[in-house]
Parts: sequence; structure tokens; C-alpha cells
Amino acid sequence: MGPQHPSTHGVFRMMVKLNGETIERLEPVMGYLHRNHEKIGERNTFIQNMPFTDRLDYLTSLSNNFGYAMGVEKLMSLGARYNPPTRRAEVIRVLMAELTRLVSHFWSVGFLMNDIGAFFTPMMYAVEERELVLDFFEATTGSRMMCNYLRFGGVANDLPERLRSEANLINDRVRDFSTMDYVWEMIFERLPRAVDQFDEYLTTNEIVTNRCIGVGTLTREEAIDYSAAGPVLRASGVPYDVRRAEPYSIYPELEFDVAVRYHGDVYDRYLVRLDEMRQSLRILQQVYPLLKATEGEAFFSGRGGMYSPRVPAGESYGRVENPKGELGYYVVSDGGQNPWRYHVRAPSFINLTALERMCLGHKVADVVAILGSIDIVLGEVDR
Amino acid sequence: MYGTGIWRGMWITLRHFVNTYVDDVKWGFQRHVPPEAFPVRQGLQGRGSFTVEYPEEKIAVPERFRFIPFLIVENYDHPERPGHDWCTSCGICAKVCPPQCIWIVRGTDPETGRPKPEPVDFYIDIDICMNCGLCAEFCPFDAIKMDHDYELASYDRTGNHIFDKQHLSKEFRYWQSIAPTVAEKEAEARGGWEHKDVLKARAKEAKAKD
Ligand code: SF4
Ligand code: SF4
Repeated sequence: MGPQHPSTHGVFRMMVKLNGETIERLEPVMGYLHRNHEKIGERNTFIQNMPFTDRLDYLTSLSNNFGYAMGVEKLMSLGARYNPPTRRAEVIRVLMAELTRLVSHFWSVGFLMNDIGAFFTPMMYAVEERELVLDFFEATTGSRMMCNYLRFGGVANDLPERLRSEANLINDRVRDFSTMDYVWEMIFERLPRAVDQFDEYLTTNEIVTNRCIGVGTLTREEAIDYSAAGPVLRASGVPYDVRRAEPYSIYPELEFDVAVRYHGDVYDRYLVRLDEMRQSLRILQQVYPLLKATEGEAFFSGRGGMYSPRVPAGESYGRVENPKGELGYYVVSDGGQNPWRYHVRAPSFINLTALERMCLGHKVADVVAILGSIDIVLGEVDR
Repeated sequence: MYGTGIWRGMWITLRHFVNTYVDDVKWGFQRHVPPEAFPVRQGLQGRGSFTVEYPEEKIAVPERFRFIPFLIVENYDHPERPGHDWCTSCGICAKVCPPQCIWIVRGTDPETGRPKPEPVDFYIDIDICMNCGLCAEFCPFDAIKMDHDYELASYDRTGNHIFDKQHLSKEFRYWQSIAPTVAEKEAEARGGWEHKDVLKARAKEAKAKD
């Protein structure tokens, strides 16, 4: 099966052995999008890798940045002169990471529906909300998807006062909102409503339940053995979340529950994503007052214009709970300008290894649904 | 009851469908939304269709938007040095550029043969540029900035996509017009609207006069 069109999940092929319609063996074939990410990472200086991490899982560039920044900061903290990120920076980082999680889950639920045949209508409803979040990203970071926003010791830029634009091309239409009002409206009104609507729209839909319940089951033990992470692991009944297991940034202060479900099928993965969206909103609603409280404080602790930070020799592993699972950056430095070794633990890649286990005994049409429920992004799988 | 879930879903779809028309009625069935309506439709109050009918209407990009970089030159009616590059060919942008797509040719003084702080040529391969904005972020002279003009389609992909200095250079006024608040902040940091060198020279002159 495949290689599929890039607009579905990416260029991915599966070698499937069939008995009639039933899957007997399945082997994922990856590498169509291989870009030599890790080797390029070793050529680049530390800061130059930041925009490259955007291109791993291109739906969640801000939390990719987050993991890499944490990895390098851990390494820098071994050295003599190191200022940890300021509080404002941490608050902004968490704000961005959680918004990214919402965006990514919207996208993945939408695509799951696409895969089971609800072609594009649910997805468009999801993308509508995503659009608004991306508008905020664009005004803050400069780009909708390739944000390149975090720096070692903070973020590149403070939140703008207003999300405003200047007409520049012919037929340009101008918008101008106050940032804080926009964020408020988004996380207290619009997004919760959208999540509820999704829930109402899809959760009890008979077609969705028929296609999803009991399909692609991964037991608790199997999920652990395949070292799955993120919603795939949590839907199999393992309440493991890096934000709780190894708390970073300001997560220890925030109240949220780790979403967990116990059947390990496609439907539960979908439900875990919905729960996580609700938890993300809960986090965001706690972050908002912090954002207000830290307004005007420094967003960057390092020296400005520092394009080659001093990174001491050593190794570190920075990990974050990405929407797709645990994203880890293993960075080894020999004290020079660039990493000596740079490795990415990509959650979609590792979750994908469990694909065969989930598909065995199911029909061909289910494979597509199962693949959709793992929520892979090929930019990250192939690197 | 079996099937209620589907009907509920249909109801939501219908609501979206109706909302689109409610919106249209509200703005008087104009094919291209009147400018006042645009921020409402494309904002958090938007209920109906989110489509922007490019190219009849475009969303103006925010000030921090990053596209291919451009070089700032002095306004063409500048009293002292019209059209002079702000770039001093220090090479930091070329060094920090992640895909290494900037190529600078440094100028030399024809008499002494020593390098002059201005670029003779400046190339950016925009096919390679990843719009990361690092060059603009780390330029110590605010001489390279990210542009907002994203309409770059061209008929030839071999020669047209390597921008030379002439193609990249834009007046300082242009930067002020596309990003007024950002430009103002930068000017504050520099200590004036002018280039650092000009400001320095002025300060020196003023000192000499005293
Ligand atoms: S960093 Fe700025 S001044 Fe230096 S070469 Fe680049 S554009 Fe010119
Ligand atoms: S935007 Fe990034 S890739 Fe493009 S020229 Fe500047 S540093 Fe290089």
C-alpha cells in the first residue's frame, strides 16, 4: 500500500501480506522523506539547529523547539556562565506548547475522520480553529508553522502588544486585535466551544464507533514493549506523561490530569486526544493569569545578539511531551561550536513500529484507520 | 437509539451551513467582503465561512512575518548618502544562516586595496533560504530584514531565484512602512532613525564642535 499522497499523512508505504482481506503481515517502509536531519545537525552550530527542528514534526514546531532548547540548556547549565530561562520565557513556552498540542490534536482527529471516510468535513471544522491559533503564532513568531521561536535561555521575541498587520500588497485586508484579549477569547471561549462541538459531533456517531471500537487493539504490555508514547501509550492504560514523569518548565505548578483510557483501540486513542485537549485548555486557563502577571518582564536571559553560545563538553537528553508522544533530543558536545552528536527520539517513528501488531487480523480498510489513529507525521518519522 | 449520533452530527453540519449564509446576509452579499467586515470574519468572532478569496482579497501579514530577507539601503532622497547600503559586509548573517545560502562579496578600496565595509555584491539563493529569520535577528547593523512580499512566482527557476544585491535592496522607508512598530523599537535601540555609522559620525562631529 502506498506511497500515499503527501497531503494525507506523508509519503509512507506499507508492505502488506493478505489472506483475502485480512492482514497476515505488515511491514512499514519508511525513508521517502529522509533529509539527513541528524547529520546536518552535526554540521550546524547549536542555534542553527533550531529552525531545523521545526521541520521534524511540522505540525508542532513550537514544542519541537522546546525540547531542543531544553536539551541544549541542560548542557549549557554544566558550564560556568549560564542563566536559566526567565519566568516570563517559561510561561510563554508553556503557552505555546499547549496551544501547539491543541492544534496538533485537532489536526489528528480531523485526519482520523478523513481516514475512516468522513472526507474533509470534520477536518475543516478542526482546521477552522487551528487557523485562529496559527494567526496568533504568526503574529508572535513570524511564521505560521515554521516558528523558530525559542532560544537558549528564553524566547526570540516577546508577545506583541497587538496582533496587527500592515497592508502592503494589493487587496490586502488588515486586522488588528489586542493580543491579550485575543488569547483570552481563544482559550476561554472559542477553543473550549470547539472541543465540545467536536465531542458532540463525533464521539457518539455510530459510524465512528463502528469503525473504531475494538479496532487496532494494543494491550498494555505490548504498548510498553514497543516503547510507544503519547496518546498511543495512554490509550492502552499506561498513565505516563513526561510532563508528570519528569516535570519541566512550570508544569509542576500547574494542575492537570494525565488522560488515560484502557482499551487501547482506535476509539480510545481518539478519546484520549479529546481528553488531552480539555486538559490543555485547563492548563492554558491557568497560564493566562501568569502571563498577565509577568507582563513586561524579560523574556530572554542570555546576551542579545549571541549567535554562538558557549556550550561545554558533555551530553544531555532533553525531552518533552509532544502531542505525538515523548520527543527527546540527545545532544553530545565536545565543547566546540556544533554538536558532536545529535539524535532525535521521534515519537511518531517509534509508535509506528507497533503498527503491525495493531493491524494483524484486521481488514485492509482498518489499516488506514489504525494508521490515522497513531497520528504520524512523516517529517518526523523519516527525519 | 441507533442513529441519533449521526443525526446530531448532521445537525452540526447544517448549523455551519446556515451560519455561512447568516454571515453573508449580515454583510450584504458582497462577493468580496467589505474591509470592515474582514477582521470580524477572520477573527475570533467569525462564524461563517473562513475562506479568503485570494487574490481578490488577501490577509495582510503581521509585522513580524518572515519571508525572504531584503537589504536595507538609505532612502533615495537621503541628504548625505542616498541609496547607501546599511550592510557593512561583516559576514555574520552568512555565518549564522543555517542552510548557508548567503554569499557576500566584500568591497575593496581601489586605491589602497584594503577591504571596505560595504558589500560589492550580495547573493541570496531564495530556493534554499528557509525563512528562518536568523540573519535578520543577528545582524548588528539592522541591515537585513525579513520581507513581507510573498508573491514570488517566476517563469524561470534557474537564474531568477538567486537574488543579487540590486534585487535585494530596498529603501529604509519600505521597512518603516511594513513594520512600523518593530522599526521604531529598533531605532530606539540604535539611538536614532539613522544607521549606526551615521549616528556615530554625527556624535563625533558634535563632540568636535564643542
Ligand atoms: S550581518 Fe548585516 S551588516 Fe553583516 S553582512 Fe549581514 S547584512 Fe551585512
Ligand atoms: S532567513 Fe534564514 S535561511 Fe534565509 S537567508 Fe536568512 S538566515 Fe539564511
